[in-house]
Amino acid sequence: MTAADLARDRLAFPDFYGEDMLLPQGKTPAYLGQAVAILIYHEFARFRFAREKLQFNDAVIRYGAVTGPLRRDPWGAARFVRVGGRTPYDDDVFSCLKQGPVSATFDNHEPVWPKPARDGGIDAQGMYYANSITDELAHPPAEWLVLTRDYATQSGDTTALEPDNANGWYDADKQDLHLVVPTQSPQEVAEGAATMLERSRIGLKRLFLHPCFTVGYGSKDHCPMPYYGVIAALYGDGRPVRLANDRFDQFQAGLKRHQFGMRYTMAVERNTGQMQSFQANIVANGGGRANCSVALTMVGATSAESVYYFPKSDVAATAIASRALDCGSARGYGALESMTATELMVDEIADALGIDAIDLRLRNVLKTGMKNAQGAVPLGVQRAEAVLQQARAHPLWTGRAARKQAYDAAHPGKYYGVGFGSIQRRFGTGAEASLAKVELALDGRVTLSHSGTEIGTGASSSQAVACARWLGRPADALDMAVTDWPDLPVQTSGDPHTMSQADQNRLAQNPRWSPAYASASSASNSAYYFTHVTQEAARVVYLYGLWPAALAIWGSGSAQEVKPEDAQWRNESLTVEGREPLPLARLAHEAHARGLVVGAAVHGFNRWQWAEADFVVDGVLVHALVDGLSVRFGNGAGAAKQALSSTPNRYQVLDRRAVSFPPTQNNNVMIGYNTAVGTLTELAVDAASGKVALLRHHTIVECGNMLVPQLVSGQIQGATATGIGLALHEWLPLYEDGPGNGTWNFNRYHVPRGSDVAVWDQTAEVLPPLSKNEPPKGMAEVAGIPIMAAIVNAIAHATGHRFRTLPVTPDRILEVLA
Amino acid sequence: MTIPIRPLTVTINGRQHGPMDVPEGLMMIDVLHEMLGLTGSRLGCGIGICHACVVIWDRDDQTSEEVRTCITGAGFFDGKRIRTIEGTAQTDERGEIVALSPVQQAFLDQFSFQCGYCTPGFVNAATVLVERLKRAPVPRGEVQATVAAALETHICRCTGYVRYYQAVRDVILTTPGLTRDGT
Repeated sequence: MTAADLARDRLAFPDFYGEDMLLPQGKTPAYLGQAVAILIYHEFARFRFAREKLQFNDAVIRYGAVTGPLRRDPWGAARFVRVGGRTPYDDDVFSCLKQGPVSATFDNHEPVWPKPARDGGIDAQGMYYANSITDELAHPPAEWLVLTRDYATQSGDTTALEPDNANGWYDADKQDLHLVVPTQSPQEVAEGAATMLERSRIGLKRLFLHPCFTVGYGSKDHCPMPYYGVIAALYGDGRPVRLANDRFDQFQAGLKRHQFGMRYTMAVERNTGQMQSFQANIVANGGGRANCSVALTMVGATSAESVYYFPKSDVAATAIASRALDCGSARGYGALESMTATELMVDEIADALGIDAIDLRLRNVLKTGMKNAQGAVPLGVQRAEAVLQQARAHPLWTGRAARKQAYDAAHPGKYYGVGFGSIQRRFGTGAEASLAKVELALDGRVTLSHSGTEIGTGASSSQAVACARWLGRPADALDMAVTDWPDLPVQTSGDPHTMSQADQNRLAQNPRWSPAYASASSASNSAYYFTHVTQEAARVVYLYGLWPAALAIWGSGSAQEVKPEDAQWRNESLTVEGREPLPLARLAHEAHARGLVVGAAVHGFNRWQWAEADFVVDGVLVHALVDGLSVRFGNGAGAAKQALSSTPNRYQVLDRRAVSFPPTQNNNVMIGYNTAVGTLTELAVDAASGKVALLRHHTIVECGNMLVPQLVSGQIQGATATGIGLALHEWLPLYEDGPGNGTWNFNRYHVPRGSDVAVWDQTAEVLPPLSKNEPPKGMAEVAGIPIMAAIVNAIAHATGHRFRTLPVTPDRILEVLA
Repeated sequence: MTIPIRPLTVTINGRQHGPMDVPEGLMMIDVLHEMLGLTGSRLGCGIGICHACVVIWDRDDQTSEEVRTCITGAGFFDGKRIRTIEGTAQTDERGEIVALSPVQQAFLDQFSFQCGYCTPGFVNAATVLVERLKRAPVPRGEVQATVAAALETHICRCTGYVRYYQAVRDVILTTPGLTRDGT
């Protein structure tokens, strides 16, 4: 199949992915590694041997005249300016929240910022204040230390061990398309594939999507591979077709990590160590297709201040288009890059001022109620300070000077160092939506269905466990990545990130409407967001099924004497003081027999707060933090109640009586829910080889109440290993020598091994939750970030040299030690 | 073009397969996946680096070792006995799993894996190690180093290795006969 075939059949990518799914003949490719053709083989061995002939063979493609790479405008640019009030709690003079971000135009493919004017439009005003920050940093007060540094992070591969693949079968007679696809975003694939076919000349009556348990670290979220699988299936001559990258293909075609270049200027008052002003120019290389580059770059920009409070800040960010491979939402999503640079700079400033590096952080840490760099007050209690205090008291930190002296004396040719990094990071995307259905069988077995996908983080285990809060036991059976929800019809339209309040108000009149349908598994969203809908569904079953069943068993008067909040689950029995403990199985049987609620399906939406609504369940007005609810009654329900059940699985779809969606203004403020993490590292640099031996590391996390502590610790361990890889080992050339040439594999892209991660000598602690009701918080992505700066800062402690470009490889260390 | 064929007879998980005609030059992982329906061995890199594809080769001298099937031609296995991940757990006559191996059980109990793609390789590596230690126990003080050496070549991207290593260490320390006193 070539571009000509696709053009003939009007097959093209969904709009998100841009043009030229396959490169047309005679056209300059937009980027290295761009797909040219798909070859389908009907016999495996023939495919295998043909592939060997084709791989690494540049002569397979006939090239025309050299045109040079395309020159294109950046994918996007914006500037985030804030001039605060007298204190962090006072009204801002200018900020994103109060006025808005500054947008750019492009000239000769470079961003052009608006002309400044104090009394002009928002953009002009923003530039007025940006320029005032520039001027002040150029002519600072005498007591300020002003430091300007350039930082760079690398292009990389997320290295999900399962390479991208897609399996499809098109049944032309029935016009059915079957897809078996590992994806983090099954809903996106379902909608995208349907849209593709709808626009094509090829008929589609039914789409069967089977999402798989998979892994991606962002590379299988909004990934083009499933759509190549669709077209392979369409041209499979009625056969099922498997499209599967090998590792060379995956390096060549998988979504990559954005390369970042960052110029930071930071001003700190020398005497007090108080941060005064921060200015940054961030350029992220988005490569050949836009994908999420703009959003990711802006997250990087709005995260750059990390855990600190700056009275003034001006962060400009540009996501450029280039001939590099297309980039995706690689773990860390821009914040990994920008926060790492910040942590390197803060360490250097502490050194210059002669202040303990954690002390300096503590003097400037963002506290609860303070405004962030967008002028918004982050949600909830801010705990970065607690993480910093814990780190400052840790023996790895307190004894470092003496240990360095002793180690260096005992190990000639090796340099010992200790470093620290800390960050605070949002989890979730600002438009999270999920569905969950919880159902009780007659014998008390619990079944959970969820729209979230298992990507190796343990979401399936944690969601099963989450049921126990209301049902006394984890789910016995669960079905993840569910895309068909006949029992809970939800309609959606518009873009939840950009819609106007008026549009939202109008659309919300439809009792089936929600701003978004179902989120991908991404942005560490399972612990908080997935759990919320699971537990809301379980709560409805508890309150309107199990609890009335319990009251019925306990007998007359119980409803007045005991309340649902008095009850506790112990050993899978519902217990209230002075009453007979009731096993779940008995309660379930009773709920079924009485026709009470034995199943609930919910849809939830969160834009930094939950949508909420009223419903009438079995004659009772119910308020829930969901925007859609269906219930199933037990088998003993009377005919009238059964008649309300209209769905294939006998659910009653409830029309919400009132709904309150989070305001669209929340899109602009980037407030978010935060998780704070800090990591200490101890390492030794070998002067002869330049190699870094990681001796120990310790991570401190605050993440609310843990659903499954083993999963939390596993995420910390895995994420820190990724951070180690990015700090010391992993990188890809961007262009002609890079993975687009099809020759990259694990022989030269070093993924950390056991010996690289201090496998026996790493520890972690999770700070106690603020209360027993504090929800679990997303932490998987965030846990891998601070170790990067901690390692590079430790190398500075060890060698006296501050590296500002990642990764810090042995050859680069040898250069500075020479 | 005609693809030359070679006969292959191999015993996998105690069951003889073949003689069967195998295209000459096909790697063993392709035979497992495409001809025998044994898809548990994973293709990670295809060049022998990541070890997700290893199977256990049982030698006639009662020793066993890992072999990377992504870079080992099927012909190498002619007449040999191997074990794949599909044969690790105990099954009943209907093929239903009745008991996991100690290594598998430890990996589950300790939440050792996440996405699971590398897990068959780790199970096989740990199994080979446990069997080696049955023949030649190591001092208890060397267990961690022994585990680290045995698993070092296996790549895992999700876990940071800690829970794999700890699980294997614990299996070794709690299984009689795998360790000895001394250093």
